[in-house]
Formats: sequence, structure tokens, C-alpha cells
Amino acid sequence: MSAVPAPGARGWAGKTLLLARKDLVIEVRGRDTLPPMLVFSLAVTLLLAFTLPDTSRPSARVVLPVGTASVADVLAGFLWVTVLFAGLVGFARSFEVERHEGAIDALLLVPLDRSGLYLAKAMTNLAFIVAVELFLFPVFAVLFPIGLGAGVVAVVVLVDVGFVAIGTLFAALAAQTRSRELMLPVLAFPVLVPVFIAAVELTSDLFLGRPTGVVVGAGWFGILVAFDLIYAVVGALAFEYVIE
Amino acid sequence: MSTTAHPGARTTGFRALAVGAWASVAVSLYFIFFVAREADASMGGQLQRIFYLHVPSAWIAYIAFATVFIASVAYLRTGARKWDLVAHSAAELGVVFSSLVLITGPIWARPVWGTWWQWDARLTSALVMWLTYAGYLLLRGLADDGSQIARSAAIVGIAGFINVPFVHFSVQWFRTLHPSGPAVGDAAGGSTLGGTELLAFFSALIAFTLLFAWLLAVRVRLGVLADEVGRLELEGDLADGPRPARPVPATT
Repeated sequence: MSAVPAPGARGWAGKTLLLARKDLVIEVRGRDTLPPMLVFSLAVTLLLAFTLPDTSRPSARVVLPVGTASVADVLAGFLWVTVLFAGLVGFARSFEVERHEGAIDALLLVPLDRSGLYLAKAMTNLAFIVAVELFLFPVFAVLFPIGLGAGVVAVVVLVDVGFVAIGTLFAALAAQTRSRELMLPVLAFPVLVPVFIAAVELTSDLFLGRPTGVVVGAGWFGILVAFDLIYAVVGALAFEYVIE
Repeated sequence: MSTTAHPGARTTGFRALAVGAWASVAVSLYFIFFVAREADASMGGQLQRIFYLHVPSAWIAYIAFATVFIASVAYLRTGARKWDLVAHSAAELGVVFSSLVLITGPIWARPVWGTWWQWDARLTSALVMWLTYAGYLLLRGLADDGSQIARSAAIVGIAGFINVPFVHFSVQWFRTLHPSGPAVGDAAGGSTLGGTELLAFFSALIAFTLLFAWLLAVRVRLGVLADEVGRLELEGDLADGPRPARPVPATT
């Protein structure tokens, strides 16, 4: 921490990175967001496991008695539900740290465009959600019959960007209400529906080691990319109206 | 503020809208129940008449949410309170009309499809829309005092509406059971519906549109009056100085 230049000497990107770094330093010292997120995700996984039939039986691996869903379809859904829950629990805290001792006022005094503040918070949230996924995906691969291929990484990256773009923006909105932790999922889940569907559809094939149809896969990737781009821009533009 | 033009005054246009809306509702009800031919049994026979309520409600819900979007953008650009009021009012109406959609649909679907609900594209996106704007209203209702909730709500109104095509395309890729040119005969639907049904449908569409416009005007007026009451109370408090025990008016 010794060679940090004065904030005024930095450009937009430098200040943004510095703010993200500030949040990460707070987390490293306080550890009050990521460890609960990780344990929470494991707790959700545990509960979801009780809803599955015995996967050791060969018949159960093919078809579940819920319509036409295979175990892999359901597991992909479980995995992403867990990621969304853990993510939103964590994102809801991203503006909590600014509430103490008027930190938000100091933050707003930083000579930086509001889009930089948004990006800094989004980068911190991205770091949290990636950490959760690095923990959760192997846990799922160990506990459930799924395979993790390289293709999963591409899906995860695209999903995370859209998730964080929405999650960070709506966390700032929800922070202005009396019921912050509840309002964030209420606001974010409906908007995240397309991301969630795309994530489940793309990963359920990958988990089974089944090739995704080129057309279908391209369609879902297209939806994800468009969603990410539009909501990253919306978030960056909208942030100046949210934070005042 | 001039004393003659009260901000909440009912204008002639407002009254005309009220009369027009309710007259068209009466005419439309007549067409729906006494003119329109009974539909095929495959569409539910007499039950199909619920679509003259269902489809215009869906239409109005989309109009309302589009209004929220436009008014939210206008509010963020101008900061004018009236746009915030319009967005808030339209969101309330949108939730009311999409609730009607979500209630009337299953009433028809249960006897005709044999199930109250299907996770079909149109049904799912209608539910997502409802949740989005229910969240919008909750956000406004649960706002901390003194927060910039009008701006935040505008962001939700914009982000939620941009999401509509995404929701539409993503849920479209699930199986779709919903009749696509709904049971009311849009021209391209190749529907067997004849003139009387189209008459009933379009009269209902007009009635609902006028009703929506009138309800929006009523709700915005209510907001204007509430603002005015708040302003007068504040003014009174300031004039009274450190609040002597104000005599409570006998009538409330």
C-alpha cells in the first residue's frame, strides 16, 4: 500500500481501479461478505440436494418424474439458482460498507464520473461472484453427476457480466429502501430471467457432455451478449441518477 | 399558483374522457354479450367471451408499461414532477391490468386446456412483466425518507421495459401453447371469427383504451392533489411557526 499515487494524479480507469481495490481491501481485512456468501451457497446446495431423487439409480439419471427434464437440466437450474441467491445476498451488501460513518459522502467527492463508481462496484461484485463460482462449480461436480468442460467457462463469463451489471445497479436502488435485502431479489430476479434461462439451457447440455446445437447455442449466446452489452451501458448511464 | 386554475381542476376534456370511456364500455359490453357469435367449442364456446376482457387488458398492460418507460425517460431528462407522477400512475394501472390478464387467462384455460397454467412463452412473460412492475411499486412504497426514489424508480421503469424483448425471445424458446392470433381473430391469424366477433373485440379494445386514458388522468390528478395538500400543509406549518396546538377541524 506504500506506492499508491495521489488519487488526483490518476485517470478515469486508474480511479475506478483504485475504488475497486479499496472495496477488496476492506473485504480482505473484514471478511464480512465473501465467507458468508460461500457458506450460504453450500447451504443452498445442501437443501437443493434433498429435492433430488437418488442419482445413483441408473433410471434416475435419465428422466425425472417432472415433465421431460433430465437430471442435468435440473442440476444446471440448481447451480444457477444457488449462484443467483448467493450473488444477490452478497451484492446487497456492496453499498452497505458506504453507509458507515458517511462513507458515501466521501465516495461521491471522488473526482470521478459516476460510471466509474458503478464500474468499481461492479468489479468488486464480479470478484465476489467469480470466487463463489470457483468454489461452487467443483463442489457441484463432486456432489452431483455433472461434467465441467471448457465451454462452461464461456457461459459463466457471459452470465456473470449480465448478472453483475443488473445486480450492482439494483443493489444501489434497493439500498434506498427500508427492506434492502428483500428488495434486491424482488427487483433483480424478473430482469435476470433471460440470463438465467440462457445459462441453464447452455450449461445443461455441457454438464451432460452433450453438444449444444449450433443454432440453439448461438441463439442463447446472442441473447447473453446483447443482454450484457445493453445492461452494462444502462447501468453505467443510470448510475448518476441513482447515487446522489 | 393562481386561485382560478386549481391544479387538480377537472377540465372539460377530463369530463369528456370519463363520459366517453364509460359509454364505450357500455357499448362494448352490449357487443360482447348480445352481438358476438358464440365461438367454436374448441375455443371454449361461451367461455371464449372472456377474451374480450383478456386481450384488451393485455394490450393496455403493454401500453401502460410503455407509458412508464417513456415517462421515466422524460422524468430523468427534465426532472419534472409530472412525468414522475405519470410513470407511477401508469405502473399502478399496468399492474392492475396485467393482474386482470393473469386472472382471466386461467379461468378460460382451466376448462379449455384442462389446466390453470402452463409455463408457456406468453404466460411466462406476462408473469415476468407483472413481477417487474410489482417490484417497481414496492420500491416506491418502501423508499427511505428523503431518498431520490423517483429517479431510482425511473431506472427500474426503464430497465424493466428494455428487458421485455429479452424475456420475450428467451421464453419463446420454450414450447408455446398460447393461441397466437388470440381467439379474437387478428387478420393474419387465419381465424374463423366473423364480423360480429371483430366488432366486439375492437369495441372492447377502444373501451379499454379510453378507460385506461381516463384512469390515468384520474390517478395523475390524485397525485397532483396529494402534492398540493402536502404543499399547503407545509405552508401552513411554516406560517403557524412552532406549531401551536392546531384546532382540529370538525369535519375530516
